[in-house]
Amino acid sequence: MSDRFRAIWPPILIAVLFLSAWQLLVVVQDIKPYLLPSPSLIAGNFFSDVSLMWAAALYTGTTALLGLMFGTMLGMVAALLAQRFIVINNLITPLAAGLAAVPIIALTPILNNMFNITSRTPRVLVTMIIVFFPMFVNLTRGLVQVQPVQLELMRSMNASPRTVLRILRVPNAIPFFFTGLKIAAPLAVIAALVAEYFGGPQLGLGSRIASAAANTAYGRAWAYVVASILVGLLFYLIVIGLERWTAPWTGHRRST
Amino acid sequence: MTTATTSELAVQASGVWKVFNEGQTNEVTALQDIDLTVSPGEFVSLIGPSGCGKSTLLRVIADLTHATKGSVQVAGMPAAKAREEQRYGMAFQQAALFDWRTVQRNVELPLELQGWPKDKRQARASELLEMVQLADFATHRPWELSGGMQQRVAIARSLAVDPPLLLMDEPFGALDEMTRERMQNELLRIREETGKSIIFVTHSIPEAVYLSDRVVVMSARPGRITHIIDVNLGSRTEDTREAESFFESVTAVREALRGRGGGAISARVGEV
Repeated sequence: MSDRFRAIWPPILIAVLFLSAWQLLVVVQDIKPYLLPSPSLIAGNFFSDVSLMWAAALYTGTTALLGLMFGTMLGMVAALLAQRFIVINNLITPLAAGLAAVPIIALTPILNNMFNITSRTPRVLVTMIIVFFPMFVNLTRGLVQVQPVQLELMRSMNASPRTVLRILRVPNAIPFFFTGLKIAAPLAVIAALVAEYFGGPQLGLGSRIASAAANTAYGRAWAYVVASILVGLLFYLIVIGLERWTAPWTGHRRST
Repeated sequence: MTTATTSELAVQASGVWKVFNEGQTNEVTALQDIDLTVSPGEFVSLIGPSGCGKSTLLRVIADLTHATKGSVQVAGMPAAKAREEQRYGMAFQQAALFDWRTVQRNVELPLELQGWPKDKRQARASELLEMVQLADFATHRPWELSGGMQQRVAIARSLAVDPPLLLMDEPFGALDEMTRERMQNELLRIREETGKSIIFVTHSIPEAVYLSDRVVVMSARPGRITHIIDVNLGSRTEDTREAESFFESVTAVREALRGRGGGAISARVGEV
């Protein structure tokens, strides 16, 4: 317990100091909210709006989660194919890199037009595309980067390529999977949020931030930003928890 | 399976050549006309400088790579068939354990691939961990073990399907000297208990002499066998390492290794 406390108090202290300094700066310098609202104003907005905020977080979180799931599945399938067939690898890799470079703000309006703008679909698709690349890259690496000696061992035991995949490559890829997921999960929240800036249902955190800012309710806008950060953080923490639970060997010194 | 197994040679390699990048400018003759036989229960070491092809020869015997020319029989059958039928177990310089499996499940791996039922393979793995004196570590993860312990797990794994032959590629090469000597004694004890034939690749002259019935000395470019030295030290004890006869054998192997100095130079001239 005291160990845990010792690990937790430095960041808490830093946060308290930082927020105090921020509050002091805004009050002493009389900074206007459209430039920088004070932490107390943001906090006030946060707690007065908490039920609406919960609903918005739930909406955006759901979009992010769906996009994360579908993007991850797509990444898995692509990585398995890339591992198995070098031709497909050469085909997918530049495609995936190209996809990763497509600006999300250009993509969203197009997908809004292609699919039903009043539905969640275009937003999930945007998120999925953003998620796909880090998942694909990391999973492919995990499937391919096995120790040569482990491959020789598998061959000496007369293992078929399918067995090698199941016994060696897939477990080997699990730490890489989580590395990808740690990048992709917060990214999914950002993508889901940004996708809401281009019309469609005004239900999510992104829509709320945009409308609050448009109404010069800067304290409220910032309160929703805080909520967005919390959702992103939650996604990240869930991934960390999953990793510890399912792949306890990651991060340890690898045996030779 | 034939009934004449016991009288069959453990390994018979005849006229084995291995040429890498054949016909290209960077062609390398890794093995040149290798003849080698290993009798059942015999311990044979392969020793030589880096690049002499000793590991390649072991890989050819294991059917991890194919000979360019010549034939390799393991337990009376072609090497490929011997691999398919799991007639040998293999250990490498790296323990090559799977971090996501416990020690016990690493040892079970070959049995799992053979489709053994769970209770049987658990019993067999426990028995093997007992033999390598790691029974207390069955539920540990590989990275919790020292290098020597990891290598013992790897040896237990190579013995899992009870193959008549062990192929070992510098298995103690990464260990410190103390651990190394302990592992050598351990290996001799296991050999005593199981009666396996063993081919053992090493860089260390004392190691080769201490372990082997015969030491096969190889030279590089092209890789070939230059000497085969019989070692008659009787049953090994710690005193063996300090015995006169031990040093005589060490000297014999060392001189065999040096004796090809002129040969290496002429080979280099030949390359040009």
